[in-house]
Amino acid sequence: MRLTDVLGRRGARRAALPQDEELFDDDFQRKLEYLALVSRRVFSGRLRAERRTKKSGSGVEFADHRDYQPGDDFRSLDWNVYQRFEKLLVRLYEEEEDLAIYFILDASSSMQFGGPSSGTSTRESGGRKMAYAKKVVAALAYVALANLDRVSIVTTNDRVMDRMPETRGKARIFKALRFLRDVRPEGVTDLEDAMKMFVAQNKRRGLAVLVSDLYDPRGFERGINVLRYNKFDPFVVHVVDAAEARPKLRGDVLVYDCETGEEREVTVTAKVLERYAQAYAEHLAEVERFCATRQVQYAAADVAIPFEELILRVLRRGGFLR
Amino acid sequence: MIFAGLPLAQLALLFGAAALGVGVLYLLKLRRRVVVVPFSLLWQRILRDKETTTLFARLKRVLSLLLQLALLALLVLALGDPRPSESLLQGRTMVVLVDASASMQATDVRPTRLAAARDEVKKIVEGLGAADEMLVAQMDAMVTPLGPMTADTVALERQIEAIRPTDARADFPRALRFATDVLRGSARPEIVVVSDGALGPAEDSSGGVHLGDAKLSYLKIGKEGNNVGITEFSVRRYPLDKSRYEVMLEITNTGPAVEDVELQLLGDGALVDLTKLRLKPAERLPRFYPQLSGASRTLEAKIARVDGTHDELAVDDHAFALLPERRRAKVLVVTEGDTYLEAALLLDEYLDVTDVAPAAYVDAVGRGGWDVVIFDRVTPAQPPPTNALYLDPTGPGSPVKVGRELKAPGFDKIDRKHPALRFLALDDVNVSVGHALVPENGDKVLGASDGGASPILVAGTRGGHRFLAMGFDVRDSDLPLRPAWPLFVIDTIGWFVDEDAQYISSYRTGDVWRVPVSPGADRALLKLPDGSVQSTAVHEGRAVMLGEQAGFYDLTTTSGGPSAMPDGSIHTSFAANMLDASESAITPRAQLVVDGLPAAPVVSRGAGVRRNIWVILLLAAAALTALEWATYHRRVTV
Repeated sequence: MRLTDVLGRRGARRAALPQDEELFDDDFQRKLEYLALVSRRVFSGRLRAERRTKKSGSGVEFADHRDYQPGDDFRSLDWNVYQRFEKLLVRLYEEEEDLAIYFILDASSSMQFGGPSSGTSTRESGGRKMAYAKKVVAALAYVALANLDRVSIVTTNDRVMDRMPETRGKARIFKALRFLRDVRPEGVTDLEDAMKMFVAQNKRRGLAVLVSDLYDPRGFERGINVLRYNKFDPFVVHVVDAAEARPKLRGDVLVYDCETGEEREVTVTAKVLERYAQAYAEHLAEVERFCATRQVQYAAADVAIPFEELILRVLRRGGFLR
Repeated sequence: MIFAGLPLAQLALLFGAAALGVGVLYLLKLRRRVVVVPFSLLWQRILRDKETTTLFARLKRVLSLLLQLALLALLVLALGDPRPSESLLQGRTMVVLVDASASMQATDVRPTRLAAARDEVKKIVEGLGAADEMLVAQMDAMVTPLGPMTADTVALERQIEAIRPTDARADFPRALRFATDVLRGSARPEIVVVSDGALGPAEDSSGGVHLGDAKLSYLKIGKEGNNVGITEFSVRRYPLDKSRYEVMLEITNTGPAVEDVELQLLGDGALVDLTKLRLKPAERLPRFYPQLSGASRTLEAKIARVDGTHDELAVDDHAFALLPERRRAKVLVVTEGDTYLEAALLLDEYLDVTDVAPAAYVDAVGRGGWDVVIFDRVTPAQPPPTNALYLDPTGPGSPVKVGRELKAPGFDKIDRKHPALRFLALDDVNVSVGHALVPENGDKVLGASDGGASPILVAGTRGGHRFLAMGFDVRDSDLPLRPAWPLFVIDTIGWFVDEDAQYISSYRTGDVWRVPVSPGADRALLKLPDGSVQSTAVHEGRAVMLGEQAGFYDLTTTSGGPSAMPDGSIHTSFAANMLDASESAITPRAQLVVDGLPAAPVVSRGAGVRRNIWVILLLAAAALTALEWATYHRRVTV
């Protein structure tokens, strides 16, 4: 099913703002259709809203045991096991619920940085990462909406800038696209504060897809940890522009941070550039290592690869939909 | 150290002001290009590594500043034109006498002693003090200053390069007198003799040389003294058989070892004799070769070691000589008939004698081509256009006025050195009657009677031609009965045609040569053995020159004469040799004694004393700039 089939041609045309026609053009929409089909084939046989969470309580299907912890409901203790092994274990049941998927789009200034994106308007020029991130969010949102999940989109910098309220149903994709089109990067990245605010605003736990370049001066770990500690299921889509690893600099320069405005005098030599590339690679490795050790789903989104390829990779990762 | 440019106080002020400027400029921050980056933390990480070496980074900046200040200091110092304090001392005035005699061609020091001497003198020039002045003079048979007294090292080095070797001995006393004359009244006079020391005593005909205040220094050149040389070489034709000749030569071993040598005698380039000789150390071996024939003009003697090696001095291994030309002299005898005269003329087969009666004289002399005309008791009205012998002249045609009659004159006074009378015994010649001759100015009285008051034999020159007049008839004397008579006739003819017995087969280098040229010649061109040509002065019928090369010379004079070439020029050749045993003795002398005092060794102030320090400072500044440039661009001092 195509977007035009859902909204009609006029609706689809209206959905795309004039300035971002190129970002979410017909070709993009065709690709969304394709992704939806592919995702359906991959996850065929799954019922709507069948995403299950391991919770002790309201479910009927036994899932697992876990150690008793003070505060657990005594009613869920498995006394049979206690009799046999003298260990207090709590019975866990799989609870069926609608999955809430939050797309947290980093809209700080650093996302605007980088070379111009092909297929972006002049207003988006220089924001290759942002354009890419918008496409990724749009695509994933479409897939999620197509799977009848509750989708919400949040834009952040050092706070929650804007949010698209939870919605479900495939037809809502244009609302999402419109929301994404209006996103303008600005401000400083502070994932911790932004995530705290996000957590405070969204009591319903769910999948939190963080789409960001993770250029957080205070550390990207804090923001992700906030999600983890608040029982969100974080999924990190790390937007990476490989060109940033090898900036075309030479000589005596004053490095100016586009977000913090911090300045540093640097004499750029081939050796310095080499060390910078090394530092950049370490940064990427650090993010990946952090996510791996914290069992946080992670996908590096290099702006150089086609976004649909990334989407499929994310879908196949298995943690996004089930 | 003194400053000839800006004084020290001004330099310090200048340096302070400029250093302040440099410091201010150094404090100014480099205006950097602003580059926006997405995440400066990554830059901070790599800069953090650099910050761990902040101390070193600061040091580098300090190093850069120090480099700038050093550069500034060099430039300011250069402005001050610093000079060593030694330059304040009163400078020396030096005359360097470089021995260019034949012995300096010895090769015991490679390539030659003279080349080594040049190098040593250059070292002296390099070691000159700032206020020192020097004059370089070449010392050989004469002394030749190669430039003025100067402190200009470039000019001095150019003068040193102009020193050329000669085949002559050095005239040491003359060189010393020249040096003392130059240095008279100068401050701190010093004479430096650069030589192998084979200079002989510092004495000449006017006595020993006194150096006065001048200090004498001696720089010895040379190491060994193995040499065998030809020290004498002479050749002459037999007077009465000019197809034969005899050679006398002497070979001397001046070295300390026994030498086996091969002596070659070459006539006109062809081998005449070959002898192997063994000479003990310091042995002089004379050789005499009588009754030789086969050579018509040139003779050469060569010696070489039997084993094919060469001794240290080549110039005395080759000697040259020229035999006098065998030319038939055309003699016209104007006589009524004189048996004695005819008999005397028959003795020399190289005479082409024509007898004519006095009446036929005019026609005969008109044919021309005569070398000599002999007037026997006949005196022509006009003298012939050639050399003439007058026997008992009379009348106004006589070249000298014929005076009073003399009864029984005799040769009381004889010029025995004259070529016509050499080796003749005329003292007891008896003459019955004769006439006194009255010589003119310039004429030479060869024989006189009455205790020298009455000339009876006069020689001179008339119209560019020689004459000799005898004031008596030989038949009125017992002269024809004596051996002196034919010798007198032949010697007189020989004097007329320059074939006297005093013929010099070779000249000695280092002497002033007076080579006879044709009468009337006013200029001469001399072709030297090395092929170069130079003009020489002609004085009183002789070309005068100082010879300094051994070998064969060609002298060309321009004037009319019997041997004139079609272009009017006359060519004569002669040979020259060193032939000096003292010069062949090439063993360097360790000490040089002049005026009773030994010469001191040369004291040099060391290289670089007179170098312009400001140039060195500027070069250092340039090098420092290059270093700063390199370190800046390699980010070492940034």
